[in-house]
Amino acid sequence: MALLEVNDLKTYFQTDDGIVKAVDGVSFSVEKGKTLGIVGESGSGKSVTCLTIMGLNDRKNTITSGEALFNGENLLTAGSRRLREIRGNDMAMIFQDPMTSLNPVHSIGTQLIEAVQLHRDVSKKAARARAVELLKAVGIPRAERRADDYPHQFSGGMRQRVMIAMALVNDPDLLIADEPTTALDVTTQAQIMLLLTNLQEEFGSAIIVITHDLGVVAESADDVLVMYAAEVAEQAPVEKLFRRPFHPYTWGLLGSLPRLDTDLERLVQIPGQPPSLLRPPNGCRFHPRCPYVMDKCKQIDPPLVPISDDPAHLQACHLDETTKDREAAKLLETTMAQAI
Amino acid sequence: MIRYLIRRVLWAIVLFVVVTLVTYVIFFLVPNDLAAKVAGQGSSQEARARAIHHLGLDRPVYVQYGKFMWALVKPVPVHVGSVPVFVRPQGNLGYSYIRATPVNELIKSAAPVTGSLVFGGVIVWLLIALPIGILSALRPRSVMDRASMTFVLVGISAHPIWIGLIFAYVFGFRLGWFPISNYCNFFNHAGGCGGPVQWAYHLILPWITYAILFAALYARMIRANVMEAMTEDYVRTARAKGAPEQRVLRSHVLRNALLPVVTMLGMDIGVGLGGAVFTETIYNLPGLGKLILRAIGETDLPIVMGVVVFATFAIIVFNLIIDLLYAWIDPRIRLS
Amino acid sequence: MAEDLLVVDDVKKHFPVTRGIIFQKQVGAVKAVDGVSFSVKSGETLGIVGESGCGKSTLARCIMRLFDITDGTIVFDGRDITKLSRTNMRPIRREMMMIFQDPYASLNPRKRVGQIVGEALEVNKVGTASETKRRVQELLEVVGLNPEHYNRFPHEFSGGQRQRIGVARALAINPKLIVCDEPVSALDVSVQAQILNLLEDLQQDFGLTYIFIAHDLNVVRHISDRVLVMYLGKVVELAPKLELYEQPKHPYTGALLSAVPIADPERGRARQPIVLEGDVPSPLNPPSACNFHPRCPRFQAGHCDVVDPPLYPFGDGHIAACHYPLERWPLAADEFRKPAAGHPPAEPTPVS
Repeated sequence: MALLEVNDLKTYFQTDDGIVKAVDGVSFSVEKGKTLGIVGESGSGKSVTCLTIMGLNDRKNTITSGEALFNGENLLTAGSRRLREIRGNDMAMIFQDPMTSLNPVHSIGTQLIEAVQLHRDVSKKAARARAVELLKAVGIPRAERRADDYPHQFSGGMRQRVMIAMALVNDPDLLIADEPTTALDVTTQAQIMLLLTNLQEEFGSAIIVITHDLGVVAESADDVLVMYAAEVAEQAPVEKLFRRPFHPYTWGLLGSLPRLDTDLERLVQIPGQPPSLLRPPNGCRFHPRCPYVMDKCKQIDPPLVPISDDPAHLQACHLDETTKDREAAKLLETTMAQAI
Repeated sequence: MIRYLIRRVLWAIVLFVVVTLVTYVIFFLVPNDLAAKVAGQGSSQEARARAIHHLGLDRPVYVQYGKFMWALVKPVPVHVGSVPVFVRPQGNLGYSYIRATPVNELIKSAAPVTGSLVFGGVIVWLLIALPIGILSALRPRSVMDRASMTFVLVGISAHPIWIGLIFAYVFGFRLGWFPISNYCNFFNHAGGCGGPVQWAYHLILPWITYAILFAALYARMIRANVMEAMTEDYVRTARAKGAPEQRVLRSHVLRNALLPVVTMLGMDIGVGLGGAVFTETIYNLPGLGKLILRAIGETDLPIVMGVVVFATFAIIVFNLIIDLLYAWIDPRIRLS
Repeated sequence: MAEDLLVVDDVKKHFPVTRGIIFQKQVGAVKAVDGVSFSVKSGETLGIVGESGCGKSTLARCIMRLFDITDGTIVFDGRDITKLSRTNMRPIRREMMMIFQDPYASLNPRKRVGQIVGEALEVNKVGTASETKRRVQELLEVVGLNPEHYNRFPHEFSGGQRQRIGVARALAINPKLIVCDEPVSALDVSVQAQILNLLEDLQQDFGLTYIFIAHDLNVVRHISDRVLVMYLGKVVELAPKLELYEQPKHPYTGALLSAVPIADPERGRARQPIVLEGDVPSPLNPPSACNFHPRCPRFQAGHCDVVDPPLYPFGDGHIAACHYPLERWPLAADEFRKPAAGHPPAEPTPVS
């Protein structure tokens, strides 16, 4: 049984302008000890998906349906008390901006101790010992002393380490990392990703990493979910996704990426803007921006189905597979000219 | 931190000098017939000249100001046993022109009244504003929130004098629930009534009258602060840790949302002292407000100066306390 | 050979740090930019990379003369603009424009797009009102916006479109130089590609010169002809693009390049990141000599912390400030730690 299994998850927000379908029928699963990468642009629903699973959306004005089975238990129907038991204990989350995600008026020790004591009936001393242990594990120098310092006394990278320590303090089965390195500098980003990989080996947690950075996904994920306009466009094991991408949106993403090791003549650009989720386009949501658009695409929303020769590779596009294979090969030839 | 304190104290001294100087100058710019008042109506020209000379009013303004300041800050030794241990400023505010009473005495008897009014009023306004602000922030757009915001609107638009008169009429005169004038001493029974119960009983209407405007302003501010704090990332982090909502509110939202309230209190205490004048007048309380109003009417400079000096001093001290308090609760200030 | 459009010579920008109870006394300085020299040729794109706090944005503002610089000279189009007054700067400002990072914050929300783009035209009194309008609509078309959106407000546009407005504004009076400060870092990948392509097209059509500041090394490689790497207010390396990305000499450049995740599972996972220890030190109190030495994996005690390395030339306009430059690239992780045995400190060799 998968650790987390999400089926047909929908999250709608009621706003003054109407219903925003922020997540519209998303399904995926995460296995123990594995990493799932969710990529997509802002507004694609990748963060809301995870906030919904964590039960962190504002309950008011939010309509949720589908199921999110965590160790077999449906989180969407669980009571708020049960959810609190799970959050921070079996399932933890770190956020994009480490500068604002820690409470400025409490020392980081206090914040970690709180995380321990919310779930374990231990003395403050024992909780503190655990907190310091984790601070050491994430590479905070002089952890014992620094536990008494306040967030503003740490750099951005150090604060993200503290966030990771806090998330892992109760040994969760699943860690959700929402753009964990976006706000950080390149060299710090490398430190944090390395840390997450090492800690995953040590703690054996499954990780969902939400990011817009295809590089981060390529290097850290086992499986990848590409989201576009609140839906899944493509889902595949990481090598498959990068070696044989099957959705025009994925092609667009890969082609629009400037590369460190290759000189590209010109970037592929996806024309236009992501659609409004208040009034998404009919049929395939990508069709107004898709260079391969057919009449069918404008009417029928393509279902997410496995490709014919690979049941683990799912995609939602009407285009025939021969064309796709040809286009994918063409794309790889240009973007990876030097590497192959 | 120490540096910051020293800077604050030095600025306070500058402020103090400026405020007293301005008051002095204004006093001498306003035309008045002080001599007639001091020497009595119908007194001889010579008596008036003597009175003026006696009070030093024939000296240049800067000399008068200098003498005033010197009496105030002149160092006098403080003895332990018979040994002088350190010096303190003399703190002599002079004598009333009209009645020849020491100003220090007048202030000593008036200050507790105003102090009771202002500090009791602050507590009342916080007691009203905190629950209203927090509860309406937790349920925006609810009936409770809308009712609160109506109160806020009324509280802000209605003038304290009007509110005071209505309260005095309805609760004091028509219903007879509360007394509408006089002050009772907290400690002793001098003058007919006294003791904490009578003290509070006599102050209830003044407190409420005094508090309503600020309660409204603060309720609105607290509501906005709490609503903003609720959307902070660290509040989401706290929820993600599995903290119960009550704990999230107490430990993460309120602590941060109420920080600015502390700063505002420091700033408003000065404004509040001004507001006390109205309330004291309506309820006939023998506080600093009444004292200074009468002194202005009689052009009794030493009393005016005395009240100004005392009020300035009180505000400065209070602000220092607020600054320290703020630094104590906000580590970002404390540790920088 | 094209002319140097901009020559920046030993430019310093120090922000004073004051302390004092009543009288403020200067006790130190944040050396945001500390002796930076380079030149930009007409029609080329110079990329400037570095991590936050390295001084790249301050440098951009110094070039634009938005700050008065502490020391050094800036020569634009053959004219020393270092000490020009506001009035004398005005005609120069028409020739150098800036594009900012945040397309949300850099446009006045109360002004219509037409006014925003046309502002520079009006300020510089170019043409009549109807001419201005025609020019603005032309510009909107050039940057791929609908000219009929002339009367809309910035909030009616998406992030990418707002950045296009920013570009149109910069183009309004045919500038020679455009300084782009992180122009695409707030944008999504697909929109980022649109803006990068647009900038490239405009450069070809109008012969523009760009200074392109970014922290994203992928983007900088794509758009630049030459790349300058900054660390703590100083230039650590400057080279033609290919040289820099294929043969970096400075260990910091190496660390930066090795830290970038590669969007390819196979090569990405094979990559051996050189993970730097610690954080960037404070520019208020930078380390002695080579200010990278406390984090440098090739640090040699007694040399790097004593002698400030000059910018050694490596041929073809490639310069790097390191006593122990990388011999080859990529290096194995253990090779990176210390210079190969017996390798002498690089002597400045004359450029052929």
